[in-house]
Amino acid sequence: MKKFEYLKPHTLDEALILLDQYGGRARLIAGGTDVIVMIKQKEISPDVLISLQEIPDLDRINYNGSLSMGPMVTHRAIEKSEIIRKNFSALTDAVDVLGSVQIRNVATIGGNISTAAPSADTAAPLLALGARVKLKSMKTERTIPIEQFFTGPGETVLQKDDILTEIIIPKPLPNTGSAYWKHQRRGALDLPILGVAVLLSLDKATVTCSDLLCTASPISTVLHSLEGDEVFCKEVRIALGVAAPTPMRAIDAEKLLRSKKISDELLEEVAETAAKEAQPRDSIRGEAWYRRDMIKVLVKRMAMKSIERVLKPEETVFPVRLW
Amino acid sequence: MQDFINIGKRIPKMDAEEKVTGKAVYIPDLKVPGMLYGKILYSPHAHARILRIDTSEAERLPGVRAVLTGYNTPPIKFGFYKDNPPLKANKVRSFRDEVAALAAIDPDIAEEAINLIRVEYEILPAIFDPEEAMKEGAPLIHEEHLGGKEKKPTNVLNLPWRLIAGDVDEARKNSAYVAEDRFKVTWVAHCCLGTSGCVAQFDMKSNLTMYSNTQIPSLAQKDYLDALSAMGLQGKKVRVIKAMIGGGFGSKLDTYAYEYIAILLAHKTRKPVKIIFTREEEFFATSPRQPAIIDIAQGCTKDGKMTFRDIRMTLDNGAYTSWGATTPSVMMMPISSLYKVPNVRYVAKCVYTNNTYSQAMRGYGNPQATFAIDSQIDILAEMAGIDPLDFRLRNANTPGEVTPQNFKINTCGLRECIDVVAQRLDWRQNRGRRDGRGFGMASMIHVGGGARVYKSDGCGTIIKIDDFGTVNVITGATDMGQGAETVIAQIVAEEMGVRVEDVVVTHTDTDICPWDVGAHASRTTFVAGNSARGAAKKVKEQLLEVAAKSLGESPENLDIRDRIVFSKNDPEKKSPLGKILRATHYAAGGKMVMAEYFYDPPNENLDKEFKGNLSVTYAYGTHGVEVEVDKETGQVKILKYIAAHDVGRAINPMLLEGQVYGGATMGIGYALTERLILQNGKVMNPNFLDYKMLTAKDVPNIETIEIETDDPSGPFGAKGIGEPGLVPTAPAIANAIYDAVGVRIKELPITPEKVLAALKEKTNLK
Ligand SMILES: Cc1cc2nc3c(=O)[nH]c(=O)nc-3n(C[C@H](O)[C@H](O)[C@H](O)COP(=O)(O)OP(=O)(O)OC[C@H]3O[C@@H](n4cnc5c(N)ncnc54)[C@H](O)[C@@H]3O)c2cc1C
Repeated sequence: MKKFEYLKPHTLDEALILLDQYGGRARLIAGGTDVIVMIKQKEISPDVLISLQEIPDLDRINYNGSLSMGPMVTHRAIEKSEIIRKNFSALTDAVDVLGSVQIRNVATIGGNISTAAPSADTAAPLLALGARVKLKSMKTERTIPIEQFFTGPGETVLQKDDILTEIIIPKPLPNTGSAYWKHQRRGALDLPILGVAVLLSLDKATVTCSDLLCTASPISTVLHSLEGDEVFCKEVRIALGVAAPTPMRAIDAEKLLRSKKISDELLEEVAETAAKEAQPRDSIRGEAWYRRDMIKVLVKRMAMKSIERVLKPEETVFPVRLW
Repeated sequence: MQDFINIGKRIPKMDAEEKVTGKAVYIPDLKVPGMLYGKILYSPHAHARILRIDTSEAERLPGVRAVLTGYNTPPIKFGFYKDNPPLKANKVRSFRDEVAALAAIDPDIAEEAINLIRVEYEILPAIFDPEEAMKEGAPLIHEEHLGGKEKKPTNVLNLPWRLIAGDVDEARKNSAYVAEDRFKVTWVAHCCLGTSGCVAQFDMKSNLTMYSNTQIPSLAQKDYLDALSAMGLQGKKVRVIKAMIGGGFGSKLDTYAYEYIAILLAHKTRKPVKIIFTREEEFFATSPRQPAIIDIAQGCTKDGKMTFRDIRMTLDNGAYTSWGATTPSVMMMPISSLYKVPNVRYVAKCVYTNNTYSQAMRGYGNPQATFAIDSQIDILAEMAGIDPLDFRLRNANTPGEVTPQNFKINTCGLRECIDVVAQRLDWRQNRGRRDGRGFGMASMIHVGGGARVYKSDGCGTIIKIDDFGTVNVITGATDMGQGAETVIAQIVAEEMGVRVEDVVVTHTDTDICPWDVGAHASRTTFVAGNSARGAAKKVKEQLLEVAAKSLGESPENLDIRDRIVFSKNDPEKKSPLGKILRATHYAAGGKMVMAEYFYDPPNENLDKEFKGNLSVTYAYGTHGVEVEVDKETGQVKILKYIAAHDVGRAINPMLLEGQVYGGATMGIGYALTERLILQNGKVMNPNFLDYKMLTAKDVPNIETIEIETDDPSGPFGAKGIGEPGLVPTAPAIANAIYDAVGVRIKELPITPEKVLAALKEKTNLK
């Protein structure tokens, strides 16, 4: 492996100065689970690694209705956060199945989205949760919606001298549920064939027949029985991973559902539309036709799961199997 | 059951502590003073002529000690067909072809230097499909290779695998039902966690020491000696020292180019040279399981008695030939002898292509053949309208049977295995609902009492006892993680009346250890175990003789229990082993207590028709599985997994279960997730991210059942169990999927894509 210098700034300002000084010769390192692999595979060969490890507070999680995370928050910390599990479930779903416990102990959310792999597991949930990211350099500071962050496979708006300093998830509307499904071939240490995240905010005021929701019947049956109760979708975001060169929102599909009465048939149509919007490709990890088919299946399942999480908030635990 | 002290006990592996604490020394840990690091340059093309190699820049890099190519090395040829030189000259025939190699003072310099070698190629048309490669006018992989009656250039190897018994055509005419299908199996990798590697070292007299992780020390020694001869070093000695082996599974049954390259570099530099594969090399430059296209037909009578089995196979040999090309000889075993089939025909062709070449892998062809056979048994049973459980019971092998290949079936617990699996799955209640949940089973036969593949199937053992009663067992066996060391210690301890912890087993050095043909064919417990037991008996006799003198008792009246020699008549007459030994060592005219024993089982080589009693006894088993299939995604989940095996006797149930767990886990990977993806000859997934070996989260709870048939020829009744665990896994799972959703997948691995595509096709047909 190529030799490099390893710098450990103690403040964010120090890190920004170093980054400015070394320019393209330097790389930031967080948990190192992507960056070291890239160096070993000779995809990059930085002379200097600037570690964010010693900078205090970058691993903080703050919650006051909205959520703020430093880039150095590890996947394991997210996994263990009850607040996130309860209010931003899709993100928990993602880190629950990211790599392995050993990887999650060191790998960070900042690193995950900065690498910008089309398969990055936290990307689709962050899109669905409507996250914004704060980017900082010596000269500038800006906060942008995460949709604008990804520009291509492995590419982001981050400039050479930028540090991603914060990820902010806005306070969800009342009666919101979210879910992410990583469609993978193994139970661990795998990248998704497809990732699907859905967030749904319901107009639940009119839902009366709540005893029905305590039954074990599938949510489609539940919805069917609730038809008279008119469950409306107030807000929806559908995000897909590995379905296009960057993690994407299925905007047309969302439009179809927003402010509509939710029904089995409508969800079916929404999922079909999402599949049409996506541009999955063939690779050794999966074939395009299959990915497209799975969008149809999984968007619907994630929508159901989100509804279930609104209606049964105490049951946020994600099942190993969905069917 | 007999009252054993050491046999049948759950004793952890003797090297377990070393391994789990990271203290065990594997090849990557090994350092020899003055050692250089070797590195290999591979071909960037599947098929190309080498026009020019320029190594001058690499040679000039400080720290580089030698650079070799096929143009400046002696003409060594290795492999089963002797068609493979360690470094290729003139032509490359696959992406794994070694074009140049070098040795440097550290691995980084070696890596840097390898990138400085310039090679010019002229790309040749390549061929990747064995059926295409057989056609007239196909590009020739080895132009000089002649075959067929006319001795014409061809890609088809001169290996006429052909087994005929009875009259298949006649039997087919008389069959009430005939099933005919094509199955396909692909490359899978051994996935040894320890990557391949060796250290080659010459002494001042040009004798070679190889630090290796081979499964076949004695045969590897021969290969290396042949190489030394080709290098002009006739009459030199070779010593093979085994480090801890980080996984074998058949991958180390042959010698590879990298070993010869290390030898050539060590000879050239007069320094020890180490070569260790990266994980990527381990995936693309070692030899996977043999892929095959299997055309199979089987028939039965109206009431489900099997009438014939007719199989034609095409095997993708790859560009060179290793043991993969001989897997048809083992496939003949299930083809002729799994269930009772009176008429059998099997023809197989091995065809050169520009793909990677294959090797032995756990089961040695048996899992491939059994996938086709026992998947089709379910198809045939359905045609005949018979429950596949009854179909199997009706045709199950029985003790005393002589199969069409002339196997003499000795003990046979197949019926019991089938019964217990059916019972555990509650088969009659559960099967046949087609509701997304399904049940399936499949069975297997494998050699369980050695296999006479070579002229000898023998193994030697030497036992000596030191002054303090420690029993040194020096065996030809190879422990590659399966626990041979522990099992041999148990057998010797039982025979001699000592404890397992009194026994030290040495198995790592050809200068010390007796001869053995190697750790293959699930033979070690059986053959090395019988050998160790024979030596232990002899040593015990000697011990009792010397003890008789000091105890004033005749030897027949003496026995040993728990390290004490005692008189069976007079319990007062007794003495600890150590004391007796010291007495014999220190006495005037003293003697060593020591014995050797060579056990070569009374089995037969296959004759010209590929018939003969290959093994002294055969291992049978049945796996049963319950799956759930997601009809919308095609994903298969295993809910229950039962593995029943006729093991003869479980010498160490803990290690035995370990073999079955490991085998079934590999088998589930083979069935559902694992494959080397080759695109135009190039391995596209040479890493564990994209090669889907199962993780701890994926392996279901595997319930093992040991059926003990106490085989009269086995050591304390034991049969081999190393390979059987993965043989029936894939067909059992495929059968369960069919039961769950009514689609039959005939190509491994059974990915969600294949299941979903088949489900769609089925609904479209409706
Ligand atoms: C065995 C294994 C399994 C894996 N499994 C998964 C998986 O299942 N799903 C998945 O999505 N990923 C997986 N990964 C990839 C990886 O672990 C994740 O992407 C991880 O989140 C990266 O975080 P890190 O802290 O290790 O980043 P690093 O490797 O330290 O950094 C990654 C990149 O981000 C940049 N960077 C880091 N922090 C910042 C910052 N604050 N501002 C600007 N740039 C920054 C670095 O310069 C670098 O380019 C796996 C990796 C391995 C090795």
